[in-house]
Amino acid sequence: MVARADTAPGNARWRLWALGPLLLLIAVVAAFSAWGDSVTGLLGSNPPPLDQVDVRRVEFKPGEIRIRVTNPQRDDLTVASVTVDNAIVPFTLDGPATLGRLRSSTIVVPYDWVENEPISVGVTSSTGIETVKQIPAAVETPQPSITRATGYAAIGFLVGVVPIALGLLWLPSLRRAAPKWLTAFMALTAGLLTFLAVEALSESLQRQAALPAGLGGAGVVLLGVAISWLGLTAVSHTLSKRGKSGEGALGGLALATLVAIGIGLHNFGEGLAIGTSFALSELALGSFLIVGFMIHNITEGLGIAAPIADGGKASFARLATLTLVAGAPAILGAWLGGFITSDLLAVLFFAAAAGAAFQVVTEVVRYVARKAPGGITSPYVLGGFIAGIAVMYTTGLIAG
Amino acid sequence: MKFRLLSDSDLVAPKKLTRKGLIAGAAPLLVAGPLAKLALADNPAEHDHLQLASHTGNGQAAHGHAAMIGEQAPAVGGPRDLDALLYPPKPLPYRRGRVREYTLTAVDTEIEVAPGVIFPAWTYNGTVPGPVIRATEGDLLRVHFFNGGSHPHTIHFHGIHPANMDGVFEIVPSGGHFTYEFEARPAGLQLYHCHSTPLKKHIHKGLYGAFIIDPKDARPPAQELVMVMNGYDTDGDGSNNFYTVNGRSFYYAKYPITVRRSQLVRVYLANLTEFDLINSLHLHGGFFRHQATGTGDHWEYTDTVMQCQGQRGVIEIEFANTGHFMFHAHQSEFAELGWMGFFNVVD
Repeated sequence: MVARADTAPGNARWRLWALGPLLLLIAVVAAFSAWGDSVTGLLGSNPPPLDQVDVRRVEFKPGEIRIRVTNPQRDDLTVASVTVDNAIVPFTLDGPATLGRLRSSTIVVPYDWVENEPISVGVTSSTGIETVKQIPAAVETPQPSITRATGYAAIGFLVGVVPIALGLLWLPSLRRAAPKWLTAFMALTAGLLTFLAVEALSESLQRQAALPAGLGGAGVVLLGVAISWLGLTAVSHTLSKRGKSGEGALGGLALATLVAIGIGLHNFGEGLAIGTSFALSELALGSFLIVGFMIHNITEGLGIAAPIADGGKASFARLATLTLVAGAPAILGAWLGGFITSDLLAVLFFAAAAGAAFQVVTEVVRYVARKAPGGITSPYVLGGFIAGIAVMYTTGLIAG
Repeated sequence: MKFRLLSDSDLVAPKKLTRKGLIAGAAPLLVAGPLAKLALADNPAEHDHLQLASHTGNGQAAHGHAAMIGEQAPAVGGPRDLDALLYPPKPLPYRRGRVREYTLTAVDTEIEVAPGVIFPAWTYNGTVPGPVIRATEGDLLRVHFFNGGSHPHTIHFHGIHPANMDGVFEIVPSGGHFTYEFEARPAGLQLYHCHSTPLKKHIHKGLYGAFIIDPKDARPPAQELVMVMNGYDTDGDGSNNFYTVNGRSFYYAKYPITVRRSQLVRVYLANLTEFDLINSLHLHGGFFRHQATGTGDHWEYTDTVMQCQGQRGVIEIEFANTGHFMFHAHQSEFAELGWMGFFNVVD
């Protein structure tokens, strides 16, 4: 009986039938493209295109401003006139003047800009619509170099790797803590990861909102969240099988690994943000700010240490690996953000960071529910969770 | 004739731009200006078609205001395109009972106000500003108006005339016709513009022009020029994206107006700028006499005049030197958005 469906002679035909709707759709779309105007014509006249360009990036070189523009709309858009500080300037185009949908060009303006002063650039389309972009301070845009790559790596190391390594040094103290306190610290880990997840989700949504409409809606954020959530679920499944924990809930090193992955994805996003800000001269990242990020991130080390404290031994090499998994992505992120600008990628990365963090939160909560002496509603668990959020918020103020 | 204007890339570019660096960078430009004049004076035949090529040849022009001359100036069209607006009809000596007839047709026209920038204008006879109307004081002026535009329009003349010739109540519908008839007075530089509502829209769209009434005692002979100052808000945000004289931004920077040092130059200057209502003209390297509205006995001796929207005046200049002399709105913003040009004074 079961085999009948596979061997039925009509089966192949019905599989072919599945192509029918697609072929018909192609036919209908073709027909609409040919005669669709008469349909939209019934609704009255078509409004003209908005004709606002998307100013993606403004770079400053000695005696020159480079403006990267993208056409965010369906209709073609032609760059006709360019202003700097509301004055018409001569320009050349590195790319076409008439841009198709989502196509880009770079406008090159010879201009003696004034360092550290605000400046605005305007791009006027052939229909006279001017899009103005304000730059808070004109600063020479750094060019890619070994020195800069090293600089980004150093910053990534300082804000990512160092604080996590320091946080892991709490491990011996945590090992000697009473079980109720240990679960309190585990709850704290869950709290701080929840905080990071919300932060990353908000960042992702904000960046998505700033994307041109042609690059899709908020659904792309869900795509990033879902991919990383499900990916990490698969990882946790594999780890739990290997760890033979039997109950399907992770503990010890395996859980710490998961936490490290979640934090690593977040730090990748953090590095990306720092690198992009440097590249776009939007952030004067002083040493104070780096100190802020370091204090902010030391809690992340604590979050990785807590599950290990409960789960037996961990070699130095294993701890070092965890540190790199959680911290080193900040370096990669800083490189990517510093040298490549893709806003869509940034949206996806932050969404992935949010999805990963949320997934790890569920794992940690399951662990706490299993291990906590007073159950999941004990004051230690609740207090630890709130403390995790509060600590992240407070130290975040220093970095912000 | 081509020659190069030094750009600051001729210098060893300072690695970091500082104020000092900028001043150093500007020094060759200061030298280049007089050199340019000398070079031009060598070859008067080329004065009309000034070509200032930058040595790099790829648009890396010398920066800024001073370099925006000749081919570097982003202006639309060829060298004689605006002659009909710049050079008014010849004045006629007073003759009793003469009739002057003009025909103005309102048409919706897409005009190119700056290279590649199309403005959907409403025009009299296809241009912004409209054609120059000229009569001598005492002439009977008869203006046939046809409305070929998509909106109701009128022509409202400044001057002294009957109420039913004022272009306020007799709105001419699309496809309609009206004949304005009145005696041209008083002498001076008058204006005409549409007075349909919404007024701001009808003026800003381009329905205006200069209206010269010559005095019975003719003004001294001169090379006469008309300059109507205006602006275009191309993106509808209530402020202008381009400023011009006679309708095209930077046009007289690309094609300097050639005048003779030996000859009196008379400029009929009017302001029809919408939104930013105050406009001005400043002349470099010379002084002129200015007679507000072109009426009365009062002449101001100055190099800068300011006009509110609807104000106008007559300017008389005797150039003391030959060479290129800039003129522009002394609102720097307007100058850099297109209201800038040059006189090329020759012997």
